[in-house]
Amino acid sequence: MLFKILSKEEFRNFIDFLLKDTEVIAPKQINVNADGKAIYQFLPVQNFEEIRLDYETTDYSAKTYFLPYKEDLSSCSFLGTIWDREIKYRIQPRAIVGLHACDINALLKLDKVLAGDRFPSPYYISRRKNTFIVGIDHDPCEGGFCQSVGADVVTHGFDLYLTDLGDRYFAAINSNRGFNALQQVKTREPTARDNNDYLEVRRRIASQFKPLEVHNLPNLMDIEFESKVWKKWADKCMSCGSCAMVCPTCYCYGVEERITMNNAKSAKIKQLYSCQFLDFATVAGGLNFRPDRETRLKYRYYHQHRGFVEAYEEPLCVGCYRCGRVCLADINPPDIIQDLQTEYQE
Amino acid sequence: MTNLFHPYYITQEAEMTQPLDYNRRSRLKHVDQVFRSEIINVIPLTDMEKLFQLRILDEAERERFSFLPGQFVMVEVPGYGEIPISISSSPSHKGYIELCIRKAGVVTSILHKANRGAVVGLRGPFGTHFPIEKMRRNNILLIAGGLGLAPLRAPILNVIENRTDFKDVHILYGTRQSDMLLFSYQYEEWNRIADINLRVIVEQADPTWTGSVGLITDLLKEMRIEPMQTYAIICGPPVMFKFVCAHLQQEGIPMDRMFVSLERRMHCGMGKCCRCNIGSTYTCLSGPVFDYWTVMNLKEAI
Amino acid sequence: MKYLGIKPKRPKIAVFDFTGCEGCELQLVNKEETVIDFLGSVDVINFREISSTISNDFEVAFIEGAITRDDEINRLNEIREQAKVLIALGSCACFGGVNRLKNAYDFKKANQEVYGKQHKETLPARAVKEIIAVDLQIPGCPVDKPEVERIVQHLVWDVPYQFPAYPVCFECKQQYTTCVFELGQLCLGPVTQGGCRAPCPVGGSGCWGCRGPAADPHLKEFLQIADEREFSRKEINERLSFYSGFEGML
Repeated sequence: MLFKILSKEEFRNFIDFLLKDTEVIAPKQINVNADGKAIYQFLPVQNFEEIRLDYETTDYSAKTYFLPYKEDLSSCSFLGTIWDREIKYRIQPRAIVGLHACDINALLKLDKVLAGDRFPSPYYISRRKNTFIVGIDHDPCEGGFCQSVGADVVTHGFDLYLTDLGDRYFAAINSNRGFNALQQVKTREPTARDNNDYLEVRRRIASQFKPLEVHNLPNLMDIEFESKVWKKWADKCMSCGSCAMVCPTCYCYGVEERITMNNAKSAKIKQLYSCQFLDFATVAGGLNFRPDRETRLKYRYYHQHRGFVEAYEEPLCVGCYRCGRVCLADINPPDIIQDLQTEYQE
Repeated sequence: MTNLFHPYYITQEAEMTQPLDYNRRSRLKHVDQVFRSEIINVIPLTDMEKLFQLRILDEAERERFSFLPGQFVMVEVPGYGEIPISISSSPSHKGYIELCIRKAGVVTSILHKANRGAVVGLRGPFGTHFPIEKMRRNNILLIAGGLGLAPLRAPILNVIENRTDFKDVHILYGTRQSDMLLFSYQYEEWNRIADINLRVIVEQADPTWTGSVGLITDLLKEMRIEPMQTYAIICGPPVMFKFVCAHLQQEGIPMDRMFVSLERRMHCGMGKCCRCNIGSTYTCLSGPVFDYWTVMNLKEAI
Repeated sequence: MKYLGIKPKRPKIAVFDFTGCEGCELQLVNKEETVIDFLGSVDVINFREISSTISNDFEVAFIEGAITRDDEINRLNEIREQAKVLIALGSCACFGGVNRLKNAYDFKKANQEVYGKQHKETLPARAVKEIIAVDLQIPGCPVDKPEVERIVQHLVWDVPYQFPAYPVCFECKQQYTTCVFELGQLCLGPVTQGGCRAPCPVGGSGCWGCRGPAADPHLKEFLQIADEREFSRKEINERLSFYSGFEGML
C-alpha cells in the first residue's frame, strides 16, 4: 500500500475535482431526530460544504449504490408470437466519499457472494467496478461492535482511505485510479512524524471499543439452536423487515415481473427482500418453511453469524449496529449474542 | 485527465460475449439471459398437473444445453414470473426437456393456459443431481410419493436407458388417491420391461382402483433389501421421505446411500437470493439433491 | 397474451358507489399515461363517473363506500346476485372507513350536528363484507391506482392475485425515509398492509393504517413500542380506529 499526506485544503480541491464530472455520494445531514441528534444519509452531493465527514453513522448503509432496493434485471418486448429480451447494466462512474471501515468490509463480504466464482452477478460487478471509494477512519459509533467481528479495520476494497490527523489527512492508496486521482492535487510523502501520528490515531480509535464476547459463536449457536433466547426476542419482532433493509450486507431478494398496461413490454424486477417477512420461505401451494417469527429471526442470525462463517471463515455481520438502531422493538445483535452467552454459561 | 476514471464496460469482457451456457458455471455471464424455448406438446396428467414438452429454439443453444437427472431449470413466462421446476425427462435428449407442472401460483396458472407453440424462457440447468454414476453394479430403489414422481422420472428414465449397468431395479410409487397418480400411461411400459419391478400404492382407494392400498412404507416392508449393495432415491413430501428413509436405515442402508430432492422457494437458482436457504445452505447450489446424511445435519430441513 | 396463445378475457365491469367520497372511483380513471389502456382492457358497462350507458349484465362489480342505509343493503344484495366477482374498493368498502367513526357517537346528536333539521335515516356504518360475501378487498384511502391496475390485469388473465406479505415499513425504507418514530411521531407502518409505496410516512406524516392490518400483524408489540415512546393510549387508539381497518383486533 502507498501512503500520501494531503492538507485539508487540498482535500477540498480533490472533492471539487471529483465533482467536476462524476456523481459524488457522501454523508449528508438530512434532519435531526426527536432528541436533537443529527441524522445522516449517503446521498448525492453538489458541493464540498454538503459533505459531513464527521458523521457518526448513517441510518441507511451505502449498499443500495451497489444493490439497489429495486432494480430492473431485464425487460421483454412482446412482438406478436415471440418476445425479445433486453438486459442493461449500470456503467455510469460514481464516487462514494466517506465510507467507514465497516461499510467497506461489508462490500468485501458482498464481493464474496456476488462477485465470487459461482454465478458472479454482472449487475453488482458493473456497479462495484464503476464506483470509486474513499473511506475514512472515525471514532466508534454508539452501539457499534465492528471490532468484535473484525470489521473495524480494512486493508483493501477501496481506492483511497483517509485518516484525519487534525490539519491533514493520511491517505492510504489502494488502486491505480486512486493514485492517479490524487495526482490532481498537491500531496507529499509521509514523514516519520506523520506515520507516528497516524498510528496514534488508530490506537486511540481501537482502544475505545467495548468488546463483545463472540468467541466460538458459530458453535455456541449450534448448541443453542433450541434456546429460549430466540423466542424471547422473536416475541418482540414485528416482522417489518427494517433490519435487513438498513443492513450493509443483507443481500436476499425477490423477483417479480410486471407487464405494461398496453401489453407491449414487461420488466423483470428485483427487490431486496427481508427474511423476516412472513412469505420469505413460502413455496407455491402455500407451504411455509418459516411460518413463525422465532424461526425467521433465528434464521437471520444463523445466516449472519454461523452459516456465513462456515462458507467464508468470517461472519456476514460487520457490527455497524444499524439494525439495532432502526428496530423499534430494540432487537439487536449485541444483546442477543450476550443472552446466548449467558444462557450457555448457565 | 477529464474523467476521474474510465467507465468499466462489463459487456465487453470476453467471457460475457461467449454463448450462453449455464454449465459453465464458474465464469461471468449474463445471468438473466434465457434460452427461448417453445412448448412442443402439453399433456394433461391429472386435474392439477400437466406435462410440458419443451424444446430450445436456437439450434446451437440446444447443442449446449445438457443436464443430469435431478437438476432443475428456472422457467420464465415473460411478464408473469419465473419458477424453479425439476426436469422430468431423460438427460439423453439434448436441448429438449419435459416438465411436470402443478397449477399453484401465478406462473403455473398462466402456463396451464398456454398452448402448444408458446415460447417461454429457460435458465439452467441448476443444482446437484442424483449420482447415478456411483450407483452402477448396485440395486436401485426409486421411490416417489405424490408429485415426487416428477423429479424421480428423470433418474427412472436414465436407469431404464442404462438398465444393464444395474442389478435389481425397483420403482415404488404412492399417492393419496388414485386420480392423483402421475404418468399412469407409462406404468405398463415400465412394468413390461423385464427385470424392472414397479409397485404402485394409494392411500385411499376409490371403487375403480384394483391395485394395492396403503402407505408407501407398506411396499418396502414386503421387500428383501441387500443394504450394502443398494442405493435409494426418494422424492416426495418431507413427511414421506422421512418415514421411508427411517425404514431404509433400519434395513441397514447407510444414510449416504439414500438421496432425496428438496423443494424450496427460489428466485434465482444461483445462490444469491437466499429464498431457498436451509439454515445457510443454498438448496439451489448444494441441492436440490442431497444425501440423507446431509439432510439430517441441516437444521430445519425437514 | 399473444405469445402464449392465450386470448385475454374482457371482463364486463360495473362500479357502484355507496357511502363514500367517490375518491376511489376517481382513482379508476386517474393516471393519464395508462388510463386508456386500463379501461380498454375491460368492458365498462356501468360506471356513472365516466359513462351514461347503464347495463346490469356485468361480471365484475367494484363496490365503493361503506354501507349505512337500509336501501343500500337491498341494492348490494342485487349486485351480489349478478356479480361473478365482487370487489370491495377502498377502505370504506373494506372496513367501513372513516364513516365508521360515527358508530361511536349518539346518532340523534350526530344527525342534528350534520344535517340540522333535515334528519336522515342512518344505520351503523358497516363494511361490505359484513353484509354480503366479498371476493377481493382492495383497501386504501384512496386505493393505489398501480395496484388496481395489477389486480385488473390478473382478472383479465384469470389468475390469482396475491397481496404483498410485507408491512408499509418495507416500501418506506426502500425510499430512504427517516423513520417518523425517530422524528417523534406515531406511525402505523409496522402493522399496516404494504403495497401502497408508503406515501404518508415518506411525506413525513406517519401511516394512518388505511390499508388495514398487515399479514400477521403484531399489535401487542406495536402497542408496547408506542407506549414506550409515550404516546397516549387515546392517541394510539384513535389512530388505529381512524379507518377502522383494525376493528375487532384492539
